[in-house]
Amino acid sequence: MDFTYTSEQEMLRDSLGKLLAQAYGFDARQKFVRSSDSRCEAVWRQFGQMGLLALPFAESQGGIGGSFSDLVAIGELLGRYLVVEPYVSSILLGGSALSLSDATADQALLRDVVAGDVEVALAHEEAHGIGPVERMTCTLRAVDDGLRLDGTKLLVLGGGHAGTLIVSARQADRLALVRVDPAQPGVTVTGYRTIDGRHAATVRFEGVRLSAAGLLLDDAEDRLDAVLRRALLCLSAEAVGAMQALLEASAGYAATRKQFGVPINSFQAVAHRLADMKIAYSKARALLLYTTALLEAGEGGARDVSLLKAQVSRLGRIVGESAVQVHGGIGMTDELSIGHYLKRILSIESMFGNTDYHLRRVGAAAS
Amino acid sequence: MNIDFGSELEAFRQEVADFLDTAPTPQIREAGLKTTSVFAPFETTMAWHRILHARGWSAPAWPREYGGTGWSVEQRYIFSEEYSKRRLPPLLPNGLQMVGPLLMQLGMPEQKARYLPGILSGDDYWTQGYSEPNSGSDLASLSCAAVADGDDYVINGQKIWTTLAYKANRMFMLVRTSKEGRKQQGITFLLLERTDFPGMTIRPITGLDGTQELCEVFFDNVRVPKSGRVGEENDGWNVSKALLKFERGGSASSPSMYAKLAMIRAAAAATPSPHGGTLADDPVMQRDLGELEAEIAAFAAFEKLIISRYPSVANDPATPSINKISSSELAQRVSVLMTKVAGLQALPLQVDARKVGSATAPLGNDFELIAMPYYLNSRATTIYAGSNEIQRDLIARALFTR
Repeated sequence: MDFTYTSEQEMLRDSLGKLLAQAYGFDARQKFVRSSDSRCEAVWRQFGQMGLLALPFAESQGGIGGSFSDLVAIGELLGRYLVVEPYVSSILLGGSALSLSDATADQALLRDVVAGDVEVALAHEEAHGIGPVERMTCTLRAVDDGLRLDGTKLLVLGGGHAGTLIVSARQADRLALVRVDPAQPGVTVTGYRTIDGRHAATVRFEGVRLSAAGLLLDDAEDRLDAVLRRALLCLSAEAVGAMQALLEASAGYAATRKQFGVPINSFQAVAHRLADMKIAYSKARALLLYTTALLEAGEGGARDVSLLKAQVSRLGRIVGESAVQVHGGIGMTDELSIGHYLKRILSIESMFGNTDYHLRRVGAAAS
Repeated sequence: MNIDFGSELEAFRQEVADFLDTAPTPQIREAGLKTTSVFAPFETTMAWHRILHARGWSAPAWPREYGGTGWSVEQRYIFSEEYSKRRLPPLLPNGLQMVGPLLMQLGMPEQKARYLPGILSGDDYWTQGYSEPNSGSDLASLSCAAVADGDDYVINGQKIWTTLAYKANRMFMLVRTSKEGRKQQGITFLLLERTDFPGMTIRPITGLDGTQELCEVFFDNVRVPKSGRVGEENDGWNVSKALLKFERGGSASSPSMYAKLAMIRAAAAATPSPHGGTLADDPVMQRDLGELEAEIAAFAAFEKLIISRYPSVANDPATPSINKISSSELAQRVSVLMTKVAGLQALPLQVDARKVGSATAPLGNDFELIAMPYYLNSRATTIYAGSNEIQRDLIARALFTR
């Protein structure tokens, strides 16, 4: 058993960490979040040069066939620096869904995504969140000269900036994936910012007409699940990276903040809260590394990722809420990073199945 | 023991209901729906304050001699229930629940005459200047200094978490007037007639919810008249304690918790579940709702013992702290379930749509609009007004020193 990162992964973490420390400090991050850009071009280009954009894709698709642990190794840093680049949205979700198609046009678009020139988004979640195909309300139907798409998708990450949308829809009793141009008639994209500084959109499809070539896959449930699992692994790593930053910041603050003439970490109520944060972080990171190793060995599945996602969300909330409490009034301000980490953790908790959803999946059947 | 409000109170309830059904403007109702904090949307809520004042109902808890309603505790509870049920914006607490009652107890006759009417009518808003960057839980260590000079004090220093200071026209504050003796002994309570004295600078601070509610105030040789002092010089710590005494008998917050529970139930019934049907059909959500209701019920019962002056609760020095911890942690639990039900629709940042009269339509419904800001804002409830860590110390102390 060995849960350490390889020396190559440590090197990658080292150079990514240096880049982010230099270009993505909290003040620079906040300045960028206040702009309307979806990606910080200089950083995104660097991601490309480091191979991050090609990481999850097969070599035959212009990728580098990275492993689960490669992804976790960088995911922790993305969380630690509150990186809002469209990595999850365009690479792990949109790009990965696109990569499921062998069609020449789709492969050509994927190469542009990997090159960092364009963004694609995955439109999958609905009002009920995610769940079995039969609950999906987005539908794809055959009409005389092609296909027709109807329905509404929520929290389409990067949806307002993507040149192409990959949309899941129920066709009879199967999950189909289609490729949609957001400028097409019948598509309404309502873009917004999320509480954690991301771009997302609500996207409505009303009688959107697609040609047969727009259909990426007509039975995509299992393969889309695999895409989501990998994205959830990276999001869990981000949450753990955020937890580490929160723990360090809170312990540091409690050691220097004085009340009643002494540092507040000398009060047992505060010290024990910090100890509980440390326990939560330790368990979350252990589960992250263990689950990653399971997946890497080909022994992990949907159930393991559900368990990880639920547990990281629960423990992350404890750490995030405690960090605000330990910081007191200053922790309630937008000027400190603390609340931004909490909001990132809350967002991760809500997306692609909340904690109840994943715990029920785990609880419903023994492994 | 008698839980019955009595039939004569039904007529009162009807009178309250009739007024609250008809008096608020659409804008006031909108402000209520968009309230995500103890501090409801400012301008609209102050306008509503003035309407209530015209009816004589702006200060249910004040004695009649100061323009209060003179209502019994039962009447006040009924008013609070009917008010919360309609989700009207709560009046801002600083004047009505803090500085007003303090003046009634300890103010000079001319201070009462000068300031109570404006608090009652809603013409004045008072910001509270207690905390400082280095004096939070350890409030008595405060260092913002006032030096006597003729008929004036000259103030230098800083206050923080002065809620909505940039909207305030008046301020009450604690200042250091002596460094001799125990730190509690050199503090003085001051009323500032204005918030635009030369040398005063107010800066709003953006909070986690994206709104500017928090503030800080800087004092650079600010000259204020001594006539604003309440109590003796260096006795401000005791003066401020009188305020705490009043807060014990303050207004009930459980009716607003029940109103939020009703909101959550309605939202759950309108939201599809990943397991089929709506969230209201979902046994896990049903358990969440049941647990929350049980928590609210226990708190509401405790609150009723407080307001009915049940002896062992009313006389217990731990009661204010138990009340503060229970209500704050309950507010947070309510807010967590709100965000869970709002789900993905809680994630859009909608600062503009939350403003009263905004031209920006919310992305989801009203409930989804306020769930996350309410959650984020309520993280402060366990920090402010004496952090829950401090309150637990007080409860323990009361337990061990009997």
